[in-house]
Amino acid sequence: MTEKLIEKLNAKVPSALKDHSEFRGDTTLFINAEHVRDVASFLKDDEDTQYDLLVDIYGTDRLKLGQSSPRFAVNYELYSISKNKFVRLIVDLVDPARNGNGGSGKFGEPLPKVASVTDIWPTANWLERETYDLMGIEFENHPWLQRIMMPDNWVGHPLRKDYPLGGEPVYFEKDRNNPRFAHLGKQIMAGPSFETELPEEMDTDGHMVLNLGPHHPATHGVLRLATELDGEKVVRVTPELGYLHSGFEKTGENKRYEKFIPYCDRMDYVSPMNNNLAYVMAVEKLMDVEIPEHVQYVRVILCELQRIASHMIWLGTHAMDVGGTPHAAPLYCFMMRERILDIFEMVCGARMTTSYFSVGGLRWPLPGAFMDAVRAFLKEFSGYYHDYHVMLTKNPLWLSRLKGIGILKAEEAIALGITGPLLRAAGVPLDLRKVRPYCVYDQLDFEVPTSTEADSYARYTVRMEELQQSMRIIEQAMNQIKPGPYRTADRKVALPPRHEISTSMESLIHHFKLVTEGYRPPEGQVYFIGENPKGWLGFGLISDGTANPYRLRVRGPSFVNLQATNTMARGGFISDLITIIGSIDIVLGEVDR
Amino acid sequence: MGVAVGAPQGGALGGTQAHAKDGSAGFALAKLEELVNWGRANSVWPLTFGLACCAIEQISAAASRFDIARFGSEVFRASPRQADLLIVSGRVSNKMAPVIKRIYDQMSDPKWVVAMGDCASCGGPFNNYAIIQGVDKMLPVDVYVPGCPPRPEALFYALEKLREKIKAEEKLGVRE
Repeated sequence: MTEKLIEKLNAKVPSALKDHSEFRGDTTLFINAEHVRDVASFLKDDEDTQYDLLVDIYGTDRLKLGQSSPRFAVNYELYSISKNKFVRLIVDLVDPARNGNGGSGKFGEPLPKVASVTDIWPTANWLERETYDLMGIEFENHPWLQRIMMPDNWVGHPLRKDYPLGGEPVYFEKDRNNPRFAHLGKQIMAGPSFETELPEEMDTDGHMVLNLGPHHPATHGVLRLATELDGEKVVRVTPELGYLHSGFEKTGENKRYEKFIPYCDRMDYVSPMNNNLAYVMAVEKLMDVEIPEHVQYVRVILCELQRIASHMIWLGTHAMDVGGTPHAAPLYCFMMRERILDIFEMVCGARMTTSYFSVGGLRWPLPGAFMDAVRAFLKEFSGYYHDYHVMLTKNPLWLSRLKGIGILKAEEAIALGITGPLLRAAGVPLDLRKVRPYCVYDQLDFEVPTSTEADSYARYTVRMEELQQSMRIIEQAMNQIKPGPYRTADRKVALPPRHEISTSMESLIHHFKLVTEGYRPPEGQVYFIGENPKGWLGFGLISDGTANPYRLRVRGPSFVNLQATNTMARGGFISDLITIIGSIDIVLGEVDR
Repeated sequence: MGVAVGAPQGGALGGTQAHAKDGSAGFALAKLEELVNWGRANSVWPLTFGLACCAIEQISAAASRFDIARFGSEVFRASPRQADLLIVSGRVSNKMAPVIKRIYDQMSDPKWVVAMGDCASCGGPFNNYAIIQGVDKMLPVDVYVPGCPPRPEALFYALEKLREKIKAEEKLGVRE
């Protein structure tokens, strides 16, 4: 397949392809910068390739890779829905002319340039803005190349390798007037950040521009929506992000591989198990580790429980925002979520930030009462599930607020890179658990619920059906699971058992090496995507053979899905905007990362 | 400063004089300061304001299992003008910091701040370019809650501590 693709690409766009490689099943094509757009259009439109879904764009800074030129590269992760194939394009950028090492990213210094692909894949808009903001790569002919995560007046591009991690020492003394601490707090920016720029096409004279957020109860966090209104009709919505930007990627690049696992919990903090799974599977893909079957089943059970808990948050907050059943639905939903959190607490000691999966298996074995607890939960939940339907499915208020609101057609959704329940509600049965099964999803029988209505109500029905399917998956996995080791026997990755350490010198050495140094994956680049409750969570890892990832990329599903707000809300009423935000199901920790 | 009010029970107040025989409401004597503090301490209204993971635990605290209403703080107000308590629940980024400062300034006196979780208290695990190492760099914090995220019970303990603090306020809580 790859040979055929390369042959055709060489025929269509000569001299575009520099090289290609295969690593852990990922195909990478190295493309010349001047041919990006030609190659992109070819890959998207050619009937043999049809890479219609742009999954991710991220930059690489090779400054510390022992390669000073070309310093910057842009990575494009593409997926073809009809062919079920991934491909990665890597485009080396020409170093800017004025100074050879690309500069430190200060204002006024020239940035490396590449052509924008926004008109080929509209989802590239925000991804390119993010790359510009954090990596300092200029995308030519981008509609509105503005900072997206950092404040407008920020200096520098944090993900560059010559940009320090930042931070400051924290003292716990109570003495505030001590001159020793006078230098602290300098990190706070000088300018007011709420006066960020609006897009030029916004008509601030003829129309009213309403600012929704960043402190607003219905935006599900610190999201700001600059909404241009004509009367009560929405003309344009411009989401402004970054109010919870926490520098996950930079932090991850400064930590050992396994130390990033607790950070995953804090990204999409309503589904930490799924985040852990996607991350550890990305590292396992990089290191090519075999995982015991028992572990796979445990992971599936816990992730599906987490999916239910995540959908409970969505349903509760959505129902509260929309007002079908004020306050009753959220309380019912949180009740069931608490049951799941109790199970998690039993498993790992934490309610929310679980960090239970480790590279190579689980952190420790399941507790003995786990199975009974899950069975009891399933029994109780099926009763509650019925209650949710009674409360909402035919509730006239609920119907009138959701039916026909926020329509996002399949072709629009694919162009915007939408994944997860939003895409399935538009009629595209794309679920990675089905089309590219990981863990043991291929041995479990479940359906991928879809709808063709593509409105907020369709998203509601799809998610409700997903709850049912998750229950099915858990039940089957509970019946099929067999006792077994809870982590891999590969001593280079997982710690040896306690009793071996006192008897075997080799085990002691492995233990010492793992704890003090961590593991060192081989050089290479992988990208792994997990099907999260909200969509595709992608982790990109570039390893330089050391114990820290050289580049860690996170593709948050909420971040990409949120970009559809404008398409869905345009032409509707301002009150429907709240419905639309609720039906996208965003978590700001993941949007801003 | 003594004042008489028609409160039937005087548990939290000073001298009580209930009509023992007919059971009708009597009157209570208390210092104005104590009376005001008593009222304030038992109806702390938090602002509907969430930042990150801790905000989810804050919602859990308000939901039926933990039920923050037991402590008189279930009335989450969306407008800072009506709120007494700012629970900073999550990490404070450089971009968000001026916004939080503005929200705090909009709250009317008397007002209190709880730094919920490690991030709001000291930056937590995020010691990097984006996150401010503790909200106490910009706001006066009354109670710090450790935990990542703290359990709802920890938030309740913080509310209890805050209540003790409010009850001990002098000069009607007017701050210079």
